[in-house]
Amino acid sequence: MNNIFAIAGVVIKELYRRKDFYVLFILTALICLVMASVNFFNDDKIVRYLKEICLLCIWICSLVIAITTTARQIPSERENRTLFPLLAKPLTRTQLLLGKFLGCWLACGLALVCFYTFFGALAASREHHWPLLSYLQAGTLHWVMLGVVIAFALLGSLIFSAPSANTTICFVVVAFILLLGRHLNKVALHLPEPRRSVLYGFYYLIPHLELFDVRDLIIHNWPPIAWTVCGVATLYGLAYAAAFLISACLVFRRKAIN
Amino acid sequence: MDTLKLPTQKTERSTNGRVPGPHGSDSPPSCASSGAGFSRQAARDPVLETRNLCVTYRGRGTSQPDRQAVKDLTLAVRRGEVFGFLGPNGAGKTTTMNVLLGFINASSGSASLFGTDVREPIARQRIGYLPELTYYYKFLSAEELLRFYARIFKIPRGERSRRIDGVLKLVDLEQARMRQIKTYSKGMQQRVGLAQALINDPELLILDEPTSGLDPIGRMRVREVIQRLKNEGKTVFFSSHELGEVETVCDRVAILHQGELKVEGRVSELARQHQCSLEQLFLKVIGYAARPSN
Amino acid sequence: MRSARLPLLILIALLVLCCGLAAWLDLWFQGWQGNRAESADLLNVLMGDSRRMFANHFFVKADAYFHSGFYPTVFDNREAFQTPHMAEDSGTVGGRNRGDETGFLGKPRDWIDAFSRQLFPSRHTHLDEGGASGDLGNSSQVREIMPWLRTSAELNPNDIRTYTVSAYWLRERMGKVAEAEQFLREGLRANPDSYEIMYELGRVYSENKHDETHARNLWQAALREWGKQEAPKADPDKFLFVEIASHLALLETKQGNYRQALAYMERWKARSPSPAAVERYIEEVRRKMSSADQTHTDQSSQNPGKAP
Repeated sequence: MNNIFAIAGVVIKELYRRKDFYVLFILTALICLVMASVNFFNDDKIVRYLKEICLLCIWICSLVIAITTTARQIPSERENRTLFPLLAKPLTRTQLLLGKFLGCWLACGLALVCFYTFFGALAASREHHWPLLSYLQAGTLHWVMLGVVIAFALLGSLIFSAPSANTTICFVVVAFILLLGRHLNKVALHLPEPRRSVLYGFYYLIPHLELFDVRDLIIHNWPPIAWTVCGVATLYGLAYAAAFLISACLVFRRKAIN
Repeated sequence: MDTLKLPTQKTERSTNGRVPGPHGSDSPPSCASSGAGFSRQAARDPVLETRNLCVTYRGRGTSQPDRQAVKDLTLAVRRGEVFGFLGPNGAGKTTTMNVLLGFINASSGSASLFGTDVREPIARQRIGYLPELTYYYKFLSAEELLRFYARIFKIPRGERSRRIDGVLKLVDLEQARMRQIKTYSKGMQQRVGLAQALINDPELLILDEPTSGLDPIGRMRVREVIQRLKNEGKTVFFSSHELGEVETVCDRVAILHQGELKVEGRVSELARQHQCSLEQLFLKVIGYAARPSN
Repeated sequence: MRSARLPLLILIALLVLCCGLAAWLDLWFQGWQGNRAESADLLNVLMGDSRRMFANHFFVKADAYFHSGFYPTVFDNREAFQTPHMAEDSGTVGGRNRGDETGFLGKPRDWIDAFSRQLFPSRHTHLDEGGASGDLGNSSQVREIMPWLRTSAELNPNDIRTYTVSAYWLRERMGKVAEAEQFLREGLRANPDSYEIMYELGRVYSENKHDETHARNLWQAALREWGKQEAPKADPDKFLFVEIASHLALLETKQGNYRQALAYMERWKARSPSPAAVERYIEEVRRKMSSADQTHTDQSSQNPGKAP
């Protein structure tokens, strides 16, 4: 575990020393502040559109940070030859991979804390109340979703030759699941066999990332989710992340790194 | 001009005269003190050993047949000696090192470090490695990089700072320790590489062409480090094209050509046996014939 | 020196050529496309007609907000959401909804579907009835649909229902009468012949400003426009006609202009889906008219010298 945490620490340092996070955070803040300055019928209490725009920016930025940070971890180590002095230490490839995953995940978690704090402050400035429990649940589920995406991107970085290809494929797959994952079963029911079974099988196979998207509940001030539901969703996400990580470890073990 | 100063045996010895190991705990005394050449100590366990090692790179389809990079290599490097691993480009030196370091798997045969199979991570606990091309995390400073590696070696927290100070002083990077590596010159990056190879006070140092790309001062520094390590009884295994340096510092050499071990032995004995210098022996082994000058 | 000057001269020559070409091309373009100043709207220039598609999307998004996120997607049964509820509830558009508006999702098809319903809005609520929190005292939450309606109007100023629906909620639940009137006038500028906007503007004057004269003028203008635009059609917009005629009839009744009221009621009855109800109104007005006539006759007989 010591090695895993050591590598995770380096990944976190990389995130806050690169400019990506700061650029995205400032962009999000600018967009939200500009939208907040728009006057709609002289009413300064309108807040939900602002929450939606802010959360949309947060989701896009967090996915960009997660996927781009993760997609370049192993390839850039190999390309920059920093992998060799690292693996020449008493460190297994599995520990390296788990360290990279943990580092990316924790780094995204820290980024989410910053983003959600900004979101909370923005919402509270108009709503004058702060549903902390709902925000905590939303942030946690968002973080778990990013864990699945990071594990998937890590696996992709070992399979696809170029980081750009991996990044593109990850974005496409994640967007597909978020937008259409919930509806595949409805489409499947309208198809004849055997396409129905194939699509339904695919529906069960994919990680349903849309389960972690509880933005509508936050935007429209729905009551907090039951903790058992949160727990089950978290376990579901962690299971998929573990599956992707195990696959990645198996691939990495056999891979020639030079 | 400052010369490199290794932490001497005096600074490293604890009160009972035993040399502390990488974990700060006492370990059995290593070989003899300064000024000696190859020390004849009773226990000559090989610290690095290969037996019938073969590495074959798979070709892609019929146009690229399989290529055997290392053929049946049997080698043993004993504790306390400086071993030169020579060969022309493409001889299989780097491939052998990659197997020893666990970067690639051998097709057949075995390789071990300190009696442990190289595929076990624990085999690398007592070694230091300096690659030919030294690149490290550019966003870290030298201090942070060494602290990271020290943590991987499980060096106790209290011991880490002392070790880091020692190696940074050794490689003359104390002034630049807090600067990010991306601001370093090539020579400074090479020195960081040496520092990270020495952070765990390794018993075996594996150097892949350590003087490649260095200016004469840099090369001299590396030679001095090797000499000091030899005086401390460490084992050094390195590959190089600088035959003059090899002849000066090495106890034994092996010459590899087209994946096969052609010659192995003590430098002095080989010179006597073949009645020629190491360079001439090298050229003879690889079958190089000088072109007639017009 | 000479070699340094030559590239600079070439650059200046090219710039002059570009400016000259631009001036000539702009005249040619105006001759083809019309004066650019007429299409000064940035959105119009950037998006062209595709902005209307976005306008409709934002109009529907306002209805999604009206339901606090509980809204059918293109994959769900939308029979109960053909007319946005916020528009239907405003009384400014006729409704075409049928079916169960609470059950468009249907039964869960699998465990993932069942589980996912815990993680998104799954109850049918309206913002003007308290929304997701059920806070009935906070019906001004309907303000949250306004940004999307405003954006929809910006993208498609010719969509009348955006103005009428917005105006209703602005004045009825948010108490913003001035803003409602301003928005309707903006809509009227973009759509000068719109009887729907005239009708809604009349409601602002009647219900909020209590200016019945102004309201009457607007409703009469609306009725005239309806007659010009809808009457010749095979399937005219009866809903709005009934609304306008009924409001005029009730206004005239309130002001004691019974004959005029009866005239409007007859027209109302002719196109009403429930003429029997309108007939009751007509009878009541006739009763009032006859009792008013009787009162006037009694007064005249008691004071024969006075002029009527």
